[in-house]
Amino acid sequence: MKKAKFLLLATIIIIFLATVSSAAVAPLSLELGPDDSNPATPVMGDHMRFWSAITNTGTAPIEGLVAWISLVEIDPGNEQPVDLEDWSAHKAITGAALEPGQSLRTDWPMRLIKGGDYRVVVSATDRGGDSVFTSPTIQFHVRQKPVLQAGRIIPVAAGLPLLIIGLMVLHKTRQQGRRWHESG
Amino acid sequence: MKSSWIIATKESTEILRSQRGLMGLLIYSGLLSAFSLLLVSNTELSLLDNAQVVYMMAGTVLSAGALLASILGSDTYAGEKERGTLVPLLCTPIDSTALLTGKGLGMLIVWCIMFVTATPYLWAVGASGQNLGAALVYLALFGTPVVLGFGLLAMALSARTGSVLASSLSIITLLMLAATPLLIGPGLRGTAIGRAMDAVNPFAGALNTFDSVIIDSEPFSAQMARLLLVAVWLIFCLMVARRNAAHPNFQ
Repeated sequence: MKKAKFLLLATIIIIFLATVSSAAVAPLSLELGPDDSNPATPVMGDHMRFWSAITNTGTAPIEGLVAWISLVEIDPGNEQPVDLEDWSAHKAITGAALEPGQSLRTDWPMRLIKGGDYRVVVSATDRGGDSVFTSPTIQFHVRQKPVLQAGRIIPVAAGLPLLIIGLMVLHKTRQQGRRWHESG
Repeated sequence: MKSSWIIATKESTEILRSQRGLMGLLIYSGLLSAFSLLLVSNTELSLLDNAQVVYMMAGTVLSAGALLASILGSDTYAGEKERGTLVPLLCTPIDSTALLTGKGLGMLIVWCIMFVTATPYLWAVGASGQNLGAALVYLALFGTPVVLGFGLLAMALSARTGSVLASSLSIITLLMLAATPLLIGPGLRGTAIGRAMDAVNPFAGALNTFDSVIIDSEPFSAQMARLLLVAVWLIFCLMVARRNAAHPNFQ
């Protein structure tokens, strides 16, 4: 029993020390927040902006910093990473340098292309390190906007051919009337 | 100019007031209707899916316009010759340039009617999406030189060969070659040959502009090279048509 207690205590201490030591060596801290001007209930087509602050919390300068934004769709049954190609022209910062204690604030604008539930995160790594650091995530919902309305398409799709058929009938009737007049 | 305008109105009226012309317009309208109705069941498109639909519809309108211009152009000189009306027409006090201008203007009027017919369809599928206004502006700006170019080249072939069949077959083959970007995927177009063809193909130039403007929301400044390409195409076709229309085939 004593031996088991000792082993449990040793395990807890090892885990604690490992956690503390990894936190101590983490040279980067990332914060992520939404811009104040973001719409409260964003709709497809709206623009949103997030900001991130990357701080060098270590003691050595960081060279060749790379930070990028990622978006993940989390709709049930449709969980997938989103290709930001069409959502944002500003997807990464590269090559930045950070002195100890220095912070880098970056804005991440994006246009909401598709409705659904999303989670956004900023990740960073540097040239010399072997880890990727991530910010806390922000979750948001984009309301779907109907881009195709049957009430608009059907009248046009049915109406225009009918209008042309009407013109053809009118034209034919006029032609027949003219022939009838000429023969009469 | 007055004689050109008289020929233009006569040509366009003949096309649009005849049952044959109205039937053509009905088929064109039916094509756009079928395309639009295919989309009704899918209302939860993303903005880009919607832009893709507008892009595809703009491409369809351009193809239909170029095809019709090719057919009408093939019928101009050769059709007049086959109907036995070319010699009396050339005996009238109208010079060859005025005749060509009149027939070209007639084709332009038909293209304008096709454009006007397509506008409600583009509005119906694209009004809630993005870049509908730009789609209409660029369809007019890039579509007109491409369509007129094919029509003028068809006229040149028509005057040169004196045969509706020969000129139609030649110009439609050329049009099919030019319209391959509609059929082949981006992968094949990304190869060296695909890129080289895109660089000299006015049809591909217009399609790439629609893609760039409607889907990627790129500005006018990014379209300058392609605008130059379609302008050069129009000028080239005009010169070829003028040269051949001056000496149409009487044999």
